[in-house]
Amino acid sequence: MMSPQTYRLLACVLVFSAIVFAFVGCDRLHGKPTEAAPTVIGSPSWTQSTFNTSCLGCHSKGAEGAAIPLMNAGYWKVATDAHVIQVLSHGQGVSMPNYLDSDGGPLTSDEIAALVKGMRSMWGAGSLGGQGAQGGHAGQGDISATVVAGDAASGAKVFATACASCHGTGGSAGSVTDPMYLRLISDQGLWSAVVYGRTELGSPAWNQPMPNHPTGLTTTEVADVVSWIAQARPVSKAQGQAKVQTKSQPKNQNASDTK
Amino acid sequence: MNREVILKLLKSPAQWIEERTGVVAFSAPLLFHHVPRSAKWWYVFGSATLMFFTIQIVTGICLGTMYAPSASNAWESLRFIDEEIPFGWMLRALHGWSSSAMVVMMAIHMLQVFMHGSFKFPRELNWITGVFLLLTVLALAFTGQVMRWDQDAYWGLGIGAAIVDRVPVFGDQMRALMLGGPIIGGETLNRFFALHVFILPGAAIALVGLHMTLIIKNGISEMPKPGEIVVPSTYREGFEERMKKTGVPFFPDAVQRDMVFCGVCLLLLVFLAAYYGPFGPGGMPDPTLINTNPRPDYPFMWIFGAVSLLPPASETAIMLVAPVVGIVILVAVPFLANSGERAPSRRPGMMLLAVVVVMAIVALTWEGVTSPWSPVMDGWSALPTPTQFVKGRTPLQMQGAVVFQFAQCRNCHELGGFGGKRGPALDEVATRMSPDQLIRQVQQGGGNMPAFGKNLNSAQMTAIVDFLSTLHPENEADSAIPGAQLPLPIKSPLTMNTVSSGAETPAGIHSR
Ligand code: HEC
Ligand code: HEC
Ligand code: HEC
Repeated sequence: MMSPQTYRLLACVLVFSAIVFAFVGCDRLHGKPTEAAPTVIGSPSWTQSTFNTSCLGCHSKGAEGAAIPLMNAGYWKVATDAHVIQVLSHGQGVSMPNYLDSDGGPLTSDEIAALVKGMRSMWGAGSLGGQGAQGGHAGQGDISATVVAGDAASGAKVFATACASCHGTGGSAGSVTDPMYLRLISDQGLWSAVVYGRTELGSPAWNQPMPNHPTGLTTTEVADVVSWIAQARPVSKAQGQAKVQTKSQPKNQNASDTK
Repeated sequence: MNREVILKLLKSPAQWIEERTGVVAFSAPLLFHHVPRSAKWWYVFGSATLMFFTIQIVTGICLGTMYAPSASNAWESLRFIDEEIPFGWMLRALHGWSSSAMVVMMAIHMLQVFMHGSFKFPRELNWITGVFLLLTVLALAFTGQVMRWDQDAYWGLGIGAAIVDRVPVFGDQMRALMLGGPIIGGETLNRFFALHVFILPGAAIALVGLHMTLIIKNGISEMPKPGEIVVPSTYREGFEERMKKTGVPFFPDAVQRDMVFCGVCLLLLVFLAAYYGPFGPGGMPDPTLINTNPRPDYPFMWIFGAVSLLPPASETAIMLVAPVVGIVILVAVPFLANSGERAPSRRPGMMLLAVVVVMAIVALTWEGVTSPWSPVMDGWSALPTPTQFVKGRTPLQMQGAVVFQFAQCRNCHELGGFGGKRGPALDEVATRMSPDQLIRQVQQGGGNMPAFGKNLNSAQMTAIVDFLSTLHPENEADSAIPGAQLPLPIKSPLTMNTVSSGAETPAGIHSR
């Protein structure tokens, strides 16, 4: 059995060494959280990794992904920076999250601008060339990237000639006037679906020549057909815009940490 | 001036205070009360728990001076403490590890008391205050996890709210009381902050005081010996006599062992803190309602494991009833057996029970830690829907695929080999589930899947189920049996406008 003195000594030594251990060389200990490595906002690697972790899940390239592909020269040819920045900042429709920090998102306005610039320089200059959905074509490509108001009555005619073969009764591509569908997509979304299409999935890009529409569609025709389709959206809920969020959903439903 | 005068001068202020407060007279028994000579290393766990509690209070107060208890700043303030304040991270690490250590030490202490039958007469209330201390400390650990205000905190709150939600009739009100509103928000943090720094520590300090008073009053139990039976009518006299004869003063005799053990614990604590660093904060707080990152802190890991094993049908009953039954049993322990043998060898049934409970908790913790549930946190925004699942889909199904990403299903479910492994891969889900079953699964959740009910509107629900119905091998039909889905007949826009969209039930699916 140890004597009381030994006990006392042992206790003192243990407590003392614990304290010393805690505060000596604290800055070099293993558990100290490392500060996040500084990434250069706007560098290609930053753009790529931000895109890969935050956007790729919905916007990929070619036939992959559920929303419009962004690794796609055709898109960048038409879309202006202002348009993309606007969409990125405040979201679009139901499922495109808003990323601006003052909207509750994870990115500052500088980061958003840098991301758009970076994406354009990566995919817009034709670096992906023919791999992009519409990249190789030398079509008109001059339909504006943003929605223009149109005339629904004339839209019905455009639909009948250009779209009904695939989207009409018995068509193979499925309805685009299903109210459930329209509650989920914005007019801008419809617009982009018509203008850029998803050629790998059999959905034509109407800013390109088509067999029975050698010049594609004009801006007016796209505007008309979009406003005709949008008419079928239940108004009580959506007021013409498919911003149908349940009231308990916070604004920035999903934009996660991309920093 | 001679020696006497100096001594007197020095002594008199102390005497002055003692005469007016009785501090020494009051605390002397705390230090010098006699404890059984047989009280050896088994008896150190309570002191170690107290030490950890003290550390919690000290580090907690320090952290309280720097922490910003507001939803928008909490996370940043933790980063600030970690990175800018000298030793700030050490403070957080100590507070975090000491909290887990305290729970563990408390459990060990409790186990020892149970095994030695020390809860028997006259120490029933010692045990009961201990049970309430355990509950308070668990509540402190839970509310502490919320203080980090990161994704784990959201998860913990989400599960907590889901359990409260299951209470019949008052579920909604109780949830509102807990969260300060229908959803997790800034009010929630304030509420939990008040609990964590005022209410619960206050309760814990009061309970510790009570516990200590009872210990002084009733003395520390002797090592149990087979054949030494507790008889309430004669126990106290015998005990006091034995203490007078063979007891040793707590200070300086018994306390030495406590000191050594506490020293070892302290070293271990500092090592853990220094090596593993502070807990979290994990990912930025994300106001997503359904948080998919399921990692509670260690003290709750076994509950996490248990919940995952519950068959869905019995979940509500078990989740609501089990904690109440557990607490009642714990409180009842000293009343069920407050006399008789104390020695473990004479109470084999009780020992078996203790072993089973310990093993169950260890096994469930293991289950909670190791199961491959870790969701892929950025699956929803980083993993594109593979081509085979978007090819040939209608626009509505395509939107369903978008909602599948948007609602973060992908974080837990694989498509084409990529995604979380927390739930089953859904590549061929349409071969096992009908649209009705799919709706039920998504709306009501079950197993470890959160219920999405109110978080998806009818259009989102319709689209997602329509999309899921197409997930089958290519040569099979969609699950809208019988036959493949036919394209919708085109309707005139006029009739469309009158379609009721108010109903929040995914009725649209069957009208296709
Ligand atoms: C050659 C057949 C074909 C023609 C003609 C056609 N589409 Fe499509 N469309 C498709 C296919 C296939 C899809 C499904 C792939 C997809 O969703 O991108 C589709 C999808 C769509 C979508 C949904 C896009 C989305 O992701 O939500 C819209 C909107 C659309 N088409 C509108 C039109 C309009 C308007 C016209 C006429 C100007 C038209 N389509 C002509 C084949 C066609
Ligand atoms: C959860 C899926 C999802 C994620 C993640 C996502 N988006 Fe989107 N995005 C969509 C959908 C769906 C639309 C179309 C919405 C509509 O119009 O109804 C869209 C639209 C867009 C558009 C507008 C296209 C047009 O019509 O001109 C841009 C630009 C865009 N997203 C960029 C991004 C970027 C950049 C990121 C990453 C920071 C991102 N998105 C992340 C789903 C997503
Ligand atoms: C937190 C992780 C998580 C998230 C997020 C999640 N699930 Fe699940 N899901 C699970 C688990 C776990 C199961 C298994 C449930 C069980 O055992 O009963 C499951 C089961 C399912 C099933 C039944 C599969 C089968 O073969 O039995 C479907 C369908 C499903 N989930 C769809 C979804 C959809 C759609 C979403 C998005 C709206 C989603 N899940 C989001 C975890 C999750």
